[in-house]
Amino acid sequence: MLRLAEVSFGLEGERIISKISFTLGQGEFAALLGENGAGKSTLCRLSMGLLKPAAGRVLVCGQDTAAVKTSAIARQAGFLFQNPDRQICRPSVAGEIMLGLELTVPDPAERERRCRETLALFSLDPEAHPFNLSRGERQLLALASVLAPGPRLLILDEPTTGLDYRECMTVMEIIARRNREGATVLMVSHDMEVASDFARRVLVLNRGELAGDGPVREIMRDQALLQRASLLPPQIPALALSLGGQFAAAFTIEEMAALAANSRRGRL
Amino acid sequence: MSGLLDYVPGNTFLHRLHPLSKLIFSFGLCLACFLTQNHWLVLGVIVCSLLQAALAGMLKPALAVLRALSKLSLLLFLAQVFFVRQGQIVLSLPLDIYITDQGLSFSCLFVLRLIAVTLPLFIMLSITRMSDLTNALTRLGLPYKYAFALTTAMRFIPLFGKEMSEIMEAQTARGVEFDSKNFCKKLKLILPLCLPLLLSSVRRIENSAIAAELRGFNVRKKDSGYKRYVLGRGDAAVLGALVLILAAVGLEHFYG
Ligand SMILES: Nc1ncnc2c1ncn2[C@@H]1O[C@H](COP(=O)(O)OP(=O)(O)OP(=O)(O)O)[C@@H](O)[C@H]1O
Ligand SMILES: [Mg+2]
Repeated sequence: MLRLAEVSFGLEGERIISKISFTLGQGEFAALLGENGAGKSTLCRLSMGLLKPAAGRVLVCGQDTAAVKTSAIARQAGFLFQNPDRQICRPSVAGEIMLGLELTVPDPAERERRCRETLALFSLDPEAHPFNLSRGERQLLALASVLAPGPRLLILDEPTTGLDYRECMTVMEIIARRNREGATVLMVSHDMEVASDFARRVLVLNRGELAGDGPVREIMRDQALLQRASLLPPQIPALALSLGGQFAAAFTIEEMAALAANSRRGRL
Repeated sequence: MSGLLDYVPGNTFLHRLHPLSKLIFSFGLCLACFLTQNHWLVLGVIVCSLLQAALAGMLKPALAVLRALSKLSLLLFLAQVFFVRQGQIVLSLPLDIYITDQGLSFSCLFVLRLIAVTLPLFIMLSITRMSDLTNALTRLGLPYKYAFALTTAMRFIPLFGKEMSEIMEAQTARGVEFDSKNFCKKLKLILPLCLPLLLSSVRRIENSAIAAELRGFNVRKKDSGYKRYVLGRGDAAVLGALVLILAAVGLEHFYG
């Protein structure tokens, strides 16, 4: 789905991304983690073809981003910007969702149907003016309009930042459902809990270098790696590691609860 | 990252000038270009600007601006040179297209003036802090509100450019063909984008205004700035040079 080979990128003489290689297969759900300024957004833009690598190759669905137009890649991949105001450009919510559909779905009736479906899914008011929406609602709208055409690859730059807990869960559930239906997801997040709950694979970026790449359970327990990338492990794995012994393997609340119940039973 | 119209920090002789002298000098140079009909004088102003840039230690960006301007100038030159019909024909092409000596001279002057006017302003903005410029303008008697609005507006120009390119990038990611090579197609796509640009700008300006209000913008008076500017020997030299240039232009005008 998405393949980066030895990708490097710099701006004004500064190296922002150096020699990054990884491959995301169909249906994977990967979280891209790293501190502010690590180069996550830059990596996302490279993956979408908005930036062309200085060295190495980026392949989206088999297409080399250096060889095809970004607007062609946009037919396969959806990209959510860190700042929703960048991408909202129509004067109504429904119009905004239609924009992506107009370019990908030729049949007007089908377009209408998908638009209504998306509006219902995100419980958005079709007539509202995007300018009057709150920051969280604008974020929802931006995501809705990216998801509406049904892209096979989703590149999401901080989809949950600025949302409250309930909205965050709504958004993540929708993304997770898309992922179960076969879409590949690359998601930037600063929320370690969200990343560990939803992603199955984690890429750790540290000053433009890929410091770690592996299953979420392994990476989230690699304290040395997380520390190097200035990341804090999620609470349960951190607790598990500091308790050690029989608890060390716990990753979710349920697992921890089960282990705790076991040990209590053992003592009784 | 520094934009085109941003202040470039430095401590050269030019940087330390009184902001008013910088302002007067650069506008004086522009004035000189428009008063004269002489190509050589305009060329002289350009050389003078480059000299100024070298003194301020920013010859490189100035040359970059010059390069960009030259490209634009070439286009403008070509657009002009065929339309002047008076004068002696120097080059005759088929289809009743020809170039006259007057056309050549007029287009050259036009293009030289364009360059000569842009460079001093560019240099002035690069070596003057916006706050200094604002203060200088208020000293001149311009109400602070207007001076502030003026300098802020100038600062917003490069921001607009950046914002526009980001919005276009976002649209490209949605599948809009901004990466098309067709100019007309691109223009047709750009026009609807003025709305989001306007909206985000209005929001930003509103926020800046509220922030300024909260920090006591309205209680500011003419002499509220704590910085005092003194006119030194450098200022005298620069203003003297300006008088000489303007005198040369005047002499050329009457006797040339
Ligand atoms: N247009 C640009 N010009 C110059 N430097 C840039 C530009 N865009 C990004 N950078 C630099 O590249 C580095 C990485 O930026 P990037 O936006 O990818 O970080 P990030 O990991 O997304 O950070 P955040 O978590 O804050 O979103 C930063 O140090 C930034 O200063
Ligand atoms: Mg970012």
